[in-house]
Amino acid sequence: MIIRQGLFIGTCVFLAVLFELTLLSRLGIPGATPDLVVVTVVAIAFAMGPLQGAMAGFAAGVLIDLSPSSDTLVGVNAIIYLVIGFVAGFWVDPRDRTLPIMIGITALSTGAAALGTAIVDTALGSDRVNWAEVPWITLSSALYGVLLSALVIPLIDRISRPFVSEIAIS
Amino acid sequence: MLSRRTRIILSFLVVASLTFVILDLRGGDGPFSSARSALSSVIGGIQTGASVIFSPITGSSEWWSTQVNQSGQIRELTAENERLNSALVTSENDIARANQLDELLRVASVGRYRVIPAEVIAVGPAQDFAWTVTIDAGSLDGLEEDMTVINGDGLVGRTLKVYNSTATVVLVVDPVSSVGSRVAGSQEIGIVSGTGRQNSLEFQLLDPLGEVNQGDAVVTFGSRDGRPYAPGLPIGEVVDVTGTAGQLARIATVRPFADVSQLSVVGVVVKPPREDPRDSVLPNAPAATRTPVPEPSPTASQEKETAATPAPDGG
Repeated sequence: MIIRQGLFIGTCVFLAVLFELTLLSRLGIPGATPDLVVVTVVAIAFAMGPLQGAMAGFAAGVLIDLSPSSDTLVGVNAIIYLVIGFVAGFWVDPRDRTLPIMIGITALSTGAAALGTAIVDTALGSDRVNWAEVPWITLSSALYGVLLSALVIPLIDRISRPFVSEIAIS
Repeated sequence: MLSRRTRIILSFLVVASLTFVILDLRGGDGPFSSARSALSSVIGGIQTGASVIFSPITGSSEWWSTQVNQSGQIRELTAENERLNSALVTSENDIARANQLDELLRVASVGRYRVIPAEVIAVGPAQDFAWTVTIDAGSLDGLEEDMTVINGDGLVGRTLKVYNSTATVVLVVDPVSSVGSRVAGSQEIGIVSGTGRQNSLEFQLLDPLGEVNQGDAVVTFGSRDGRPYAPGLPIGEVVDVTGTAGQLARIATVRPFADVSQLSVVGVVVKPPREDPRDSVLPNAPAATRTPVPEPSPTASQEKETAATPAPDGG
């Protein structure tokens, strides 16, 4: 079961990273790049549980950090996405999750991902972060997160059903 | 709460990512360079295919920028209209001279570089605050690290990491990029550094008394052996100067000629001009696309001619 889950998570994350890097980041949309990867991680956490969310976040972060056209430190995105995936799956009990709550958590997650990258990068001594733009990037990222979540969360929920066991919420 | 297994896996993941950060912070060719190059050959291949499939969609970026900038564009166009009207009144002599200079600049710059063409296949996400792109040429095509990347408009950036069939390019607007450069007219030397915004660069004059005016073009100064930056490439146009002559911090804002948000075909300078003048002077296919040089005659004599023409005017 855990191997099949791992394969499923890996495939979802890989496709999300590819889609974000090849298509979404080239669209030239104002503000942040729509963060499909974070939305996918959050959707996996909703559908499968906090541990799976954390694993998906870790995999996505490492993949983004290692992929070409990224020049960040390896592990920065991994730890941010890991925390986001875990918190998104752990925060609200699955039985109490309504649609507005799920969309709200996604928006907070995408915003937190943008803000977190800026904070961690600055803390690690990168002088790239332009703090005047951080509020705008965070806000737009949260907004795009809301738009993407309406599409991604139901999709992941549907296709992940064969991989979810009854005791997944632990 | 959490089961034992969950806690073990979670703490393992946290420790793993912290280890990655620390290992990568040490810099140099860490253990990740091989992982990066392996992954880049996989992802790069897919990105190449995907960029072809998605090209109709990604081409819509112009639509987005139009939506955002419309009011700004109207203002810009009105201002430009006024400027053009006044330019129309200036004498024929000025226009002829400008044309000559323009041609000289082109002959002296773009025509003499040996360039490998490549296409942008992926762009780093904006959340990283890094202005980097991936191109579909790599070490198999003869690329190396720290080579100049140009397009039809001017300087784009330099190669940062080179893999087998792809390379990562750090753009000139990236905050960590800085280029030695000179003002095309007055030959004043300075440093152009990126600001992280796509349409402005910072140009700092080394000589605080140096003259720089709005509208001046800025070209690269050139590094040793033409790497990372080959000499004479147009970077951008001065749009704003702060501070007066003699002031310590004299900074001009430069608008880059190359629109980094809509990059498609770029060229990597694999051989700067002076190293092997005889061969490089020949107009080769990719470089010749934008050089309206009437005849491929020895450029040295042509330069002398153009340089000599204004002298009788003045004297």
